[in-house]
Amino acid sequence: MTFWLLLSVNSITFGALLFLLAAGFSLIFGLMRIPNLTHGSLFMLGAYFGATFVNGMLGAYFDFWLAALMAAALVAVFGAVIERFLLRQLPGQPLAQVLVTLGISFMVADLCLMAWGGDPIAVATPPGLTGFVRIGPMVFPLYRIAVIGIAIVVGVALWLLLDRTRIGAMIRAGVDDPDMARVVGIRVSGLFTMVFALGAALAAFAGIIGGPILTVYPGIDQYMLPLALVVVILGGSGSLLGSVVGSMVIGFLYNFGQALFPELAYFVLFLPMLLVLLLRPQGLFGRFIP
Amino acid sequence: MATSALSLEHVDAFYGDSHVLQDVSFELGEARMLGLLGRNGAGKSTCMNVGMGLLGARNGAIKVFGQPVTRLPPEQISASGVALVPQGRRIFRSLTVRENLVVAARKPGTAGRHAEWTIETIFEMFPRLQERASQMAAHLSGGEQQMLAIGRALMGNPRILLMDEPSEGLAPQIVAEVMATIRKLKESGLSIILVEQNPNLVFDVADDIVILNTGRVAVVSTPAALQKDDALLRQHLGVF
Repeated sequence: MTFWLLLSVNSITFGALLFLLAAGFSLIFGLMRIPNLTHGSLFMLGAYFGATFVNGMLGAYFDFWLAALMAAALVAVFGAVIERFLLRQLPGQPLAQVLVTLGISFMVADLCLMAWGGDPIAVATPPGLTGFVRIGPMVFPLYRIAVIGIAIVVGVALWLLLDRTRIGAMIRAGVDDPDMARVVGIRVSGLFTMVFALGAALAAFAGIIGGPILTVYPGIDQYMLPLALVVVILGGSGSLLGSVVGSMVIGFLYNFGQALFPELAYFVLFLPMLLVLLLRPQGLFGRFIP
Repeated sequence: MATSALSLEHVDAFYGDSHVLQDVSFELGEARMLGLLGRNGAGKSTCMNVGMGLLGARNGAIKVFGQPVTRLPPEQISASGVALVPQGRRIFRSLTVRENLVVAARKPGTAGRHAEWTIETIFEMFPRLQERASQMAAHLSGGEQQMLAIGRALMGNPRILLMDEPSEGLAPQIVAEVMATIRKLKESGLSIILVEQNPNLVFDVADDIVILNTGRVAVVSTPAALQKDDALLRQHLGVF
């Protein structure tokens, strides 16, 4: 019983982390129709920047949360630059966008290897969250529970932003009909840059939040990107609810698959994606786009 | 003619290699309504798209109250006081009725002399939109969608309104409602270009008429003069 419960909590925690990563990916992919393969790199950059600040690699030690915000802000700027100066030049060319973003992800991986070396970098759990929570006879790591809480807060904030604010309605209008959105005075290009930067910031935030659980190492980008892809394909691109459900499904499949069928872990992970692609290409909660 | 609200001067426009507007010039006077007529493919909607910045003019100039807007993007032309009610309505289908209006809200321009349009005044004009304020726009009837498209354009508090076939696909009773609304808007002092297939609708409300034929201005006249010239109408519109 304890085993199953612990595995479940780990699955939810991993799902929460995946949600933080995939929500931004889904926003960019679903709203802007850009298959952004740098998303894993943005996660990795956030993790490396955060680890640098937290571990005092620049000579000064930063608070974990401040470091997370600084990393997210830096990566948001990087994301905005990619969108504005590269992807903006390739509208409606998904193949070119895939190649450009894939190329950037390889370049970022090389630069990270050069800057931070090949050894994994541990990120300490933030003070105050190092303990355990006792629920009945069970003991759960407090930080993992906190990650779940953070994902819920971010999810609600994103929902409020997209569904309950004027700027959210403007983003959705821009997705519905970009030309008409411009005709009614919406600066669609600026909004899309903002969405891309927000998605990048979320990925980076996920990177450093995941640091104490996953550590930071070369190749973590290529480890996380397929998972985010599966979440978005499963849940449906552009759908926040889809990201939540997709993340949780993948969180459980990944952890239970690794524990119960380690030799088939990836099979268990990717099979639902194949089925969804075949039976419901727009994903569980995505809109059909002809 | 009164002060020019919107003018197209020797405009050439292309879709790919197709030369769809050829040396087109006409002028919409301030607080007047210009009916833009022509057969299918004559270039009426292209004129609207060029005026709104959705299609660039390769040659010529477009001016809003004397200020050139020829190379400006749609959002800047919108800011200069031009609004479009597009052909096919093109409401934001995944937004609610209220959201469709909210996203288009803009304070009136300094040179504007019209009452400020707000959600409340739009709902007064179209009570049915208020009843459906929280519904997704995709679920509205054709007439309601047209009202929403007009309301959305008005939310920008424009000085110039471009209306591209607002009666298209609507039942006669709804067309009458839409035309009554257009009359009210004209009385409010808006400068309006009304594109229509049906000349009779335009003759009832317009001050001036321009007829396009195969991408060129064929006739510039008034409703009264045109209604007396059956041969001209037959030649360019194939009616009467």
